[in-house]
Amino acid sequence: MNKIVSRYLITMVATLWVAPTTAAEAPRTSDGHPDLSGTWDNGSGIDFVEAVVDGDSVCLRGCATGPRPTQSGDRPNYKPEYMEKVADLDERQIEEDTVLRCFSPGLPRIGPPDKIVQTPNEIVFLYDDFSGNYFRIVPMDGRPHRTDVEPGFLGDAIGWWEDDTLVVETINFNNDTWLTDDGSFHTTDLKVIERISRDGDTLQWLATAHDPEILAEPWQLRPRIARLTDDEILEAPPCIDRDLDHIVENIHHDNVR
Amino acid sequence: MYYNRLTVSMALLLAAGWASAHHSVSAVFGDEIIELTGIITDMDWINPHTHIYLDVTDADGNVVTWELESSPTAMLRKGGLTKAKIIGDGRPVTVRIQPARPEARTPYRAYMKKITYADGHYYVLSAED
Repeated sequence: MNKIVSRYLITMVATLWVAPTTAAEAPRTSDGHPDLSGTWDNGSGIDFVEAVVDGDSVCLRGCATGPRPTQSGDRPNYKPEYMEKVADLDERQIEEDTVLRCFSPGLPRIGPPDKIVQTPNEIVFLYDDFSGNYFRIVPMDGRPHRTDVEPGFLGDAIGWWEDDTLVVETINFNNDTWLTDDGSFHTTDLKVIERISRDGDTLQWLATAHDPEILAEPWQLRPRIARLTDDEILEAPPCIDRDLDHIVENIHHDNVR
Repeated sequence: MYYNRLTVSMALLLAAGWASAHHSVSAVFGDEIIELTGIITDMDWINPHTHIYLDVTDADGNVVTWELESSPTAMLRKGGLTKAKIIGDGRPVTVRIQPARPEARTPYRAYMKKITYADGHYYVLSAED
């Protein structure tokens, strides 16, 4: 018992002692904020592909050693009166999930940005999604949300700094997208809060979806980590689905992000 | 019933520590993996899946073109793969593929697992476990 406690204490002390020395400083812009600019690899938008290269041969999946990424499994929690609707949409996912037809996945399903361009007055998020290229412009000058634009897949964003964390609030969504791939619809009242911070060459993206009319509680997505990369994003090729006409009846077309 | 199947499948996948691809290939493709030899003639560099065309000649000399679905372009790029690299040099290749289920009503279509080229180099594009 004493041995276990001692080992535990030693581990705790070691962790506390090591943590401050291993945390990497993020570079800063001239106005003193962390510099989030860069191209960020979050695993091609779906999960990390750990390619193993052996001479001219390449193994994209199933060959990497070490811990493999885990599937999220997190889902929003709906109020009881909406659970039947979610289940019904899920059953009819092949007809109803617009992502399967190459529409924008919307926010927050699109995940963290693939590239960030930061200036003092605005921060631009760029996306290289398999459904296409997208952008979001996040004003940082304290202006309110726009009221003169139509609702969209990625909404209207404004941002601010809380210490070293970039906070982005987005509203004005259409309701053509789902939060996940299993019928988790949202309303046009959806509000998404993203919290983005940089630790050395990694970016942490946290997002919470607020839709109080239908969700029992705000839904916090699993944290996403992206790595700084020199592999620049590219013009997205056309997205043309050829599977939907051939999906065997009632089989779920998983699209986990 | 459907939920039970899904739940069991997800539990197995989680237990195996497997990360989901763009979609569960079982929605279109069966469980069997077969091997074919043929010549890659073209590739559609599109999303959400790339498509590779393989001409296979049978014993009677008839040529059948298989359409082999593979990963999205961004994933292929993670391994430094391009359309030209995947098409190769026109010599025969051996592929391991997962043919479409009969109910999917799309013969000569399959999901690509692995391509092995004439000189021995290979690309594993999808895990077999």
